[in-house]
Amino acid sequence: MLGSIITPDLFAAALRMATPLALAAIGGTICERSGVVNIALEGIMLTGAFFGTVVALATGNPWLGVIAAMVSGVIVSAIHAFASINLRADQVVSGTAINILALGVTGFMMERLYGHPGTTDPSAMLRPVFKFAMADGGFLGTIWNWINGIFLSHTPIVYMAIIIAIVAQWAMYKTRWGLHLRALGEHPRAVDTVGVNVFRGRWVAVLISGALAGLAGANLTLEQVGSFTENMTNGRGFIALAANIFGRWTPVGSYLASLLFGFADALQIKLQIFRGQIDIPPQFFLMLPYVLTVVVLAGVVGRAVAPAAIGKPYEKE
Amino acid sequence: MNRKWRSIIAVLLALTLLVAFVPGCAKDEPADEPTTDETVTEEPKTDIKAAMVTDVGGLGDKSFNDLAYAGLQKAEQELGVEIQVLESKEITDYESNIDQLATAGYNPIFAVGFLMTDTVVKLASVYPDTNFGGVDEEFYDGIPGNVVSLLFNEHEGSYLAGVVAGLATKESFDSKLNSDNVIGFVGGMDVPLIKKFEAGFIAGAKSVNPDVKVISLYTGNFTDQAKGKELGYSLIEQKADVIFAAAGACGTGTLVACQEKGALFIGVDADQYITIPGSGDVMLTSMMKRVDAAVFGAIKSMVDGSFKGGTAQYFGLAEDGVGLAPYHDFETKVPQSIKDAVDKARQDIITGTIKVPETP
Repeated sequence: MLGSIITPDLFAAALRMATPLALAAIGGTICERSGVVNIALEGIMLTGAFFGTVVALATGNPWLGVIAAMVSGVIVSAIHAFASINLRADQVVSGTAINILALGVTGFMMERLYGHPGTTDPSAMLRPVFKFAMADGGFLGTIWNWINGIFLSHTPIVYMAIIIAIVAQWAMYKTRWGLHLRALGEHPRAVDTVGVNVFRGRWVAVLISGALAGLAGANLTLEQVGSFTENMTNGRGFIALAANIFGRWTPVGSYLASLLFGFADALQIKLQIFRGQIDIPPQFFLMLPYVLTVVVLAGVVGRAVAPAAIGKPYEKE
Repeated sequence: MNRKWRSIIAVLLALTLLVAFVPGCAKDEPADEPTTDETVTEEPKTDIKAAMVTDVGGLGDKSFNDLAYAGLQKAEQELGVEIQVLESKEITDYESNIDQLATAGYNPIFAVGFLMTDTVVKLASVYPDTNFGGVDEEFYDGIPGNVVSLLFNEHEGSYLAGVVAGLATKESFDSKLNSDNVIGFVGGMDVPLIKKFEAGFIAGAKSVNPDVKVISLYTGNFTDQAKGKELGYSLIEQKADVIFAAAGACGTGTLVACQEKGALFIGVDADQYITIPGSGDVMLTSMMKRVDAAVFGAIKSMVDGSFKGGTAQYFGLAEDGVGLAPYHDFETKVPQSIKDAVDKARQDIITGTIKVPETP
């Protein structure tokens, strides 16, 4: 029984399912570190997923779709940036409005573009980067198959997410930009005093989060399934927010937290296989990732300290 | 300056919210009005205005809601009724959509999908003079007098899908079939309706292949395609070579998994060979629910005055309410023995020789 749960695909699935969460979570981390709450990740991801498919369908080139997804993410996040930075609107309200807006606009545009909402036709997809043969048997062969299955079977954005996590971590802690970013979320007045433009710093952070959440959407449509369905993000943006907090507002932490959530989701699928043998309703398995989210946020993570100035609009005196 | 900007953005945000809700509201009829005008002179014009409210899947789901709409369109063309459709984006849209139609004098109103059952019960008492058709809605606390419950014997159609899968997994007419004797089922939400699909599928498969192993996995929703694909991967990893998905849009993801990893797929609700372009290489057949026939039949009964509220109408194999789609690209590959077994099972269910279970 254990043999059919613990397979290379369990870990590969964890990586696959963690990728959209991680990209959005890292975006959320960068945004929140600058002092702007971004609960619009879900809506931005959905928008990216949609425009990625639209452009891939129109051009036949999935990479143009990826670019479109990121650009649309940036545009949507610009609404959030303008409302919450320049107009000092409540950031949670602005984010919620964007989430609802994204759901409506994608459905509306789909009807205009394709004559029907629901699911689009299949578009061109990004293919796995490597294609190595499986070895037959033997100890070394088995090891190779595990490595191949877990690490070398993925599509480009899965690898990009890992690289982005590391680069963002480095940038946040080893560069002048990162220092300013962190200071923006802790004590924006101090940053202002030393001559850094608070508005510009926060704008950049929000736009980066939009690009990353858009990329997360592209992963869903252009790598995983190849077509867009309304509301297909299915709450991933909110899980990403939790991953960002669980990861204590650090990029690598966000990635690892997403990996945990992805693993929980992958595990529940494998456990469902044994529903026939053990009489447990599938709802029990389906709730596992969410229970884990609650447990992690309530217990394990302890007192995660949010950036001091988070959610507070900056007013220049 | 700042105050001015603030009021401008407030107005803009209010407008965008308005736009966001627009798709949830009225959708004008497509421009095939001229054709109806021509037929009006010949057809007996009735003053019946029939309408439907879609489930959250919306029009263009290429199955359920689209089929109901097709039934409505057929009624427009053949019976001369006026039709209208409102789409639900969220579960919270059901009530306002039905309310809007009832206020506008539409009668009958079809509520498509079991999620709307409670809303129909509530509004049926608010509008006692309006007739309602509950597609796929089972009323456990009694059917209101102005509601007809349109149900399908999904288990009967799924039984045939099970017969095909159970026999195909032993065959080798396609390179994607293996010799491990495992088949898979992907369900959406774990609700009695989807259980009927699962029960029929398993019973059908076991009837022709008692040793077959059937693995059932559930996505927990009907929209998360990526989850549907992961379930497909898991099933194929467990050596499943024929997979039947009754999971709404999630099934599209499962289909992609079948195409990537090599397994055959059985679609659901509509003939998915037609509704999903490029699926022919793995689409063995589909278990169709003829929602269009049910909706058309109910409108027709309104027109000729035989509408019986407070009853449930079942559409099974005998009524052609469920059934298998053509094999399409597999037409020549599928051995005659499978086709014969399906025909025999179909006859046996219609005559009552086989009783198909509704719970697994």
